[in-house]
Amino acid sequence: MTARHEFNRRRFLQGSAAVAGGLMLPASILSACGDDGGSGAALKLARPDKPVTLPTVGDAIANGLSHEGGTLQILNYVDYLNPDVLARFEETYGVKTAVTTYDTEEIALNKLRSGAYQPDLILGLTESVLPRLVAADLLQPLNKSYLSNFNNVIAGLRDPYYDLGAQYTVPYIIYSTGIGYRTDMDVDTSYFDSGNGWDILWDPAYSGRLGILDSYRDVIGSVLHRNGADINTGDQKVLDTVLADLQAMTAATNPKIDILAYTEIPAGTRVVNQCWSGDMLLGVWYLPEDAGWDVLGYWQPDDMVTGNDLFCVTSKSSRPVLAHEFINFFLDVDNALENFGWTGYQPALEALPASTLIEWEYVPAGLENALITPEQYAAGNRGVALEPEVDARWTDVWAAFTAG
Amino acid sequence: MRRNSDGQWLWGLLAGPGTTWLLLLFALPFYGLACMAFGEIDPIFRNAVPAWNPLDWQFENFGDVMHEILFGSQRRVFVRTILYVASAVVLSFLVGYPVAYYLARHAGRWRGLLLALMILPFWVNYLMRMLAWVNLLQVDGWATRAFSAFGLQYNWLDGKAITVVLGLVYGYVPFLVLPLYASLERLDVRLLEAARDLGARPGHAFRMVTMPLSRPGMMAAGVIIALPMFGDYYTNDMLSRSPRTEMIGNQVDFYINGTSQPQKGAVLVLVLSAMLVVFMSYYLVSTMRMQRELQA
Repeated sequence: MTARHEFNRRRFLQGSAAVAGGLMLPASILSACGDDGGSGAALKLARPDKPVTLPTVGDAIANGLSHEGGTLQILNYVDYLNPDVLARFEETYGVKTAVTTYDTEEIALNKLRSGAYQPDLILGLTESVLPRLVAADLLQPLNKSYLSNFNNVIAGLRDPYYDLGAQYTVPYIIYSTGIGYRTDMDVDTSYFDSGNGWDILWDPAYSGRLGILDSYRDVIGSVLHRNGADINTGDQKVLDTVLADLQAMTAATNPKIDILAYTEIPAGTRVVNQCWSGDMLLGVWYLPEDAGWDVLGYWQPDDMVTGNDLFCVTSKSSRPVLAHEFINFFLDVDNALENFGWTGYQPALEALPASTLIEWEYVPAGLENALITPEQYAAGNRGVALEPEVDARWTDVWAAFTAG
Repeated sequence: MRRNSDGQWLWGLLAGPGTTWLLLLFALPFYGLACMAFGEIDPIFRNAVPAWNPLDWQFENFGDVMHEILFGSQRRVFVRTILYVASAVVLSFLVGYPVAYYLARHAGRWRGLLLALMILPFWVNYLMRMLAWVNLLQVDGWATRAFSAFGLQYNWLDGKAITVVLGLVYGYVPFLVLPLYASLERLDVRLLEAARDLGARPGHAFRMVTMPLSRPGMMAAGVIIALPMFGDYYTNDMLSRSPRTEMIGNQVDFYINGTSQPQKGAVLVLVLSAMLVVFMSYYLVSTMRMQRELQA
């Protein structure tokens, strides 16, 4: 995910001042792609077919240390940790936790680089920002000896292409991008049966009752997927087509752009909404009392667009051992399950297959396809980190689309 | 003579804190914003790298954004924002002027209480008030149900311009009433009495005396609500969030908070500021002209 909530103003000058100071970059992470070697330098961006071993910056903590106690500072998206599980972690380790939230990855990156706030642990960031975090020396390598539950992680993410060896990251949750809908409000499900369910977003029958994600990465990626194009393309002509398609969507359905599918679809104010899989799993708990669980549906393409959020320990953490203990605590199956019951986002754990989650009534059977199996995850498309110039093209397309 | 000179020095000193405040919290950040707009982007971290030396300023981004404003998608956003703000200001006057007039001229002993009630919305955060409207206007909200009772079926929250404009009016009208009230309350009653004595009917007296005399207050009130409306983005965020109602503030928010092109957001802020300077200049010139006319 690239955005979780809106409305906060960013003190952008704060970040800019830090940028002006400049940072020394580990030379090993730069690969020259321009003759000048200066502004033309670029990060090595990982692709599933071109995995990357991130450079080792700094040392991991030593084995066998006791945790530091005190208050663990956590940087996280809002409402992305179950307070009950957090309280149990505090009780188990005799510590406190303090959670600070961020809205977008860019804001989180600026917050970390400015140095004004130094958390011990970061949750929720994706691979797209990972190379920059490492380049800025903001993360420390993990010591797996503290992560006894690491083997609970689904196999495909124990050695991920974006961080071979999982040096800096442990997956927190996995998700796909698809379409949530109401099964009891005359939604034409033949769109989903046809295999290209994205088309429903252009159906005027749902005008005023339809939404899309407030995330240019996910929306443009979905339109590219609908058009059969590379979902990470930088081709301007292809992106121009996407813009035309998005403007046609506005003309046809006037979509609402936000990340509120998990409340709006259960409330019935929207009947179709592009969303993350976790939105529908969470949406179950926002249904009115008299509504059955079966009123929520979710479609995702067979070659779904999947992603995962990460746990990372910061390089300047004053409680790195405690941060490792925290990650390990949330990799425990019972704790992850309880956390899932509150956040709605699927833990990236092998030991929690869809059948178990349905059998234990964490997920209604009708939403089975909102759960991602390790095999589906392995076969799915990835919205990977984009090169800066490609990212700029994408944001310009988004700005032109939202301009109406 | 010497005492007079000392007095001037004292008055100058008293202006010091305000001047310092302006320099530190307006001029300096504004200069930083310009440096950001005309600076570069860090190729690795994709943050703005401000160019603190104006000789190093680059105008490529500025040119791109200006092209978008004049000929591209941003033109729609600018035109829409101007229309929304103009509509909201006019509606605010239609709602606020009678209220301010009543408070100033006819509220009598209830004036204090009514003024307090007028100020009451200030006690609640703007975002909270907008969230309240979201609840009232959603499909099963009280307001929607009340409209339905009269046979009016209307989905206010499905991305309509009227909802955003009314939201702006609701959010900012108290800021209009107070300066208007202050202006009307100071109005010399003897001038109205003279108009009546000379045979003017109440409506005529209002048009010929009250309205012209309250024009400075109207101008000030209009400026006070129009300026924040131009930069507003959260009203649209909460009440619509449709591409059809996007305002300049939303584009600034997107570029600065959600992309690796924050310098484009900074350029949009600069252009918006320049536009507002034109409005402000008109306000200042008009106010000075009115003062001269009144003195004459």
